[in-house]
Amino acid sequence: MAWIGLVPFFAFLTLFLFIPAFSVFSEALRGANGKFTLDSLREGISGQNLEAFKFSIKFSAGAAFVGVVFGTLLAYAAVITKRPKWLRSLITSFSGVAANMGGLTLAFAFVSLLGRQGVLTKILAALGWDLYSGNFGLGEIPGLITVYSYFNIPLMVLVTIPAIDGLRTSWREACANLGGTTWTYWRRIGLPVLAPSIMGGFLLLFTNSFSAFATARVLTDNSKIVPLRIGFFLGGDLSVGEDSIGYSLAAWMIIVMAVCMWLYWILRRRAEKWQS
Amino acid sequence: MAVMRNLLGKSGPKIVILVTSVFFLLPLLAMTRFAFQNIGVFDLSWSKAFDKWTFDIVSKPFEDQYFTDSLYLSFKIAIGTAALTLGLLIPTAIWVHLRVPKARVLIEFMTVLPYVIPAIALVAGIVVIKPHARWFLNSDLSLIPFYTVLALPFTYRAIDSGLRALELRTLVDASRNLGAGWIRTMVKVIVPNLRSAIISATFLTVAVALGEFTIANVLLKRTFPPFINEYRMREPRAGYALAVLSLLFTIFIFGLLSVALRSPSAKSHQNSTKSREMS
Repeated sequence: MAWIGLVPFFAFLTLFLFIPAFSVFSEALRGANGKFTLDSLREGISGQNLEAFKFSIKFSAGAAFVGVVFGTLLAYAAVITKRPKWLRSLITSFSGVAANMGGLTLAFAFVSLLGRQGVLTKILAALGWDLYSGNFGLGEIPGLITVYSYFNIPLMVLVTIPAIDGLRTSWREACANLGGTTWTYWRRIGLPVLAPSIMGGFLLLFTNSFSAFATARVLTDNSKIVPLRIGFFLGGDLSVGEDSIGYSLAAWMIIVMAVCMWLYWILRRRAEKWQS
Repeated sequence: MAVMRNLLGKSGPKIVILVTSVFFLLPLLAMTRFAFQNIGVFDLSWSKAFDKWTFDIVSKPFEDQYFTDSLYLSFKIAIGTAALTLGLLIPTAIWVHLRVPKARVLIEFMTVLPYVIPAIALVAGIVVIKPHARWFLNSDLSLIPFYTVLALPFTYRAIDSGLRALELRTLVDASRNLGAGWIRTMVKVIVPNLRSAIISATFLTVAVALGEFTIANVLLKRTFPPFINEYRMREPRAGYALAVLSLLFTIFIFGLLSVALRSPSAKSHQNSTKSREMS
């Protein structure tokens, strides 16, 4: 009987989240004649679509890796730097803004810095380094990793600061008393305790990069980026029957996200063990 | 070796902070320069670095009728999203805490589902149901419930942690014993105690609703983000200027949020120490 109070919430989610999500799958599983088929799902991960998934997974993993390394370093620096006192709160509040800054503004900022006419591009060219002589581009892997780091690093800072706070000085002292060096401490205590948070952070940043649409849309027309590819299929003027590919890509994207978030959920539970 | 380690240990954190701040500042500076300095990149040189800065460009967007229209629409949607979020989540969260604590994990799981179904996948689903619900989806305001869904992971957590910090059961029992009905208890007792949770949920929803691009872009709704994107192609400098201004607005909102959250807690802290002294 008590569950009745949850009806509005579930009704809301059903209408505006579950039905759209199920529609994606039902459309992806329907052939041109309206019958059930796995054809478009198979098509969604073959040929050019497979290339797109490979490309997206590659740059998302790269962006997540860079974000994890620099985010953890920055979070650690913020925690151990005691002076000036306001530095830590400045870093966390800036991270709060920057982690949510993905989208248009971010893309505009990087186009004006590193686009073909960007300020830094011109400065580097004057110094004799032509960025665009190779296959650099804001829509290619190094470019995307650079831009996405702008929201990935702050997000990593936000998720690891509690974990780093959870490292107790007494552990360090115990390690030193037993004859361990700084290296032993990190190798045997620090990193193993942080490991679930770091791996969880990696998954979070990966999903964050993999599903980002707005930033990528402004930076490039590269159809190897899965969200852009879905967008092109949804908005495009395509021949009949082709549009189910868009839904198949969206369905695969949900599957990838679901696997990552499930792993993240498990890792978080482990990480929370040390943060009391 | 010892010198090296000392250098890393002492200066390492400073170097990390310095390098990352350069990375975070450069793009913003470049965008600001593009917006407010009227010199083409071709003519740029060190000697001209401070020439021809002008803020006149800010008035330019007002010549475009879509500017004000899209801004107005986005604000309407943001307010609607905040209202729907609070109206739906506060009663649900209270109900979960008081009546079905068993459902807590389930609800928490539901509220992170928007991570699993990102905006681009959600809008794919909306495109599928569009032919069956044109009467609803043709309206620009139909974005409100979808933006509520997108903001759910942030907003539910804010309200839930606000409730956890309260002695909810005691508050409700006290209020009911004094003869207040459910509605009166909600409005006069619980909501004032949830002040900071409500403020953060509201700000988060407004930030999400004002910045959302994906769904609006695919459904061809003329909210502010799609406008700014299209406008930048016509009027690059003014487009960048708008981006800078909207960024400043976001920072302002988050600044306001931290001020709004700090003062009442500082006050209540004072009160609690005072009452402890008195007792």
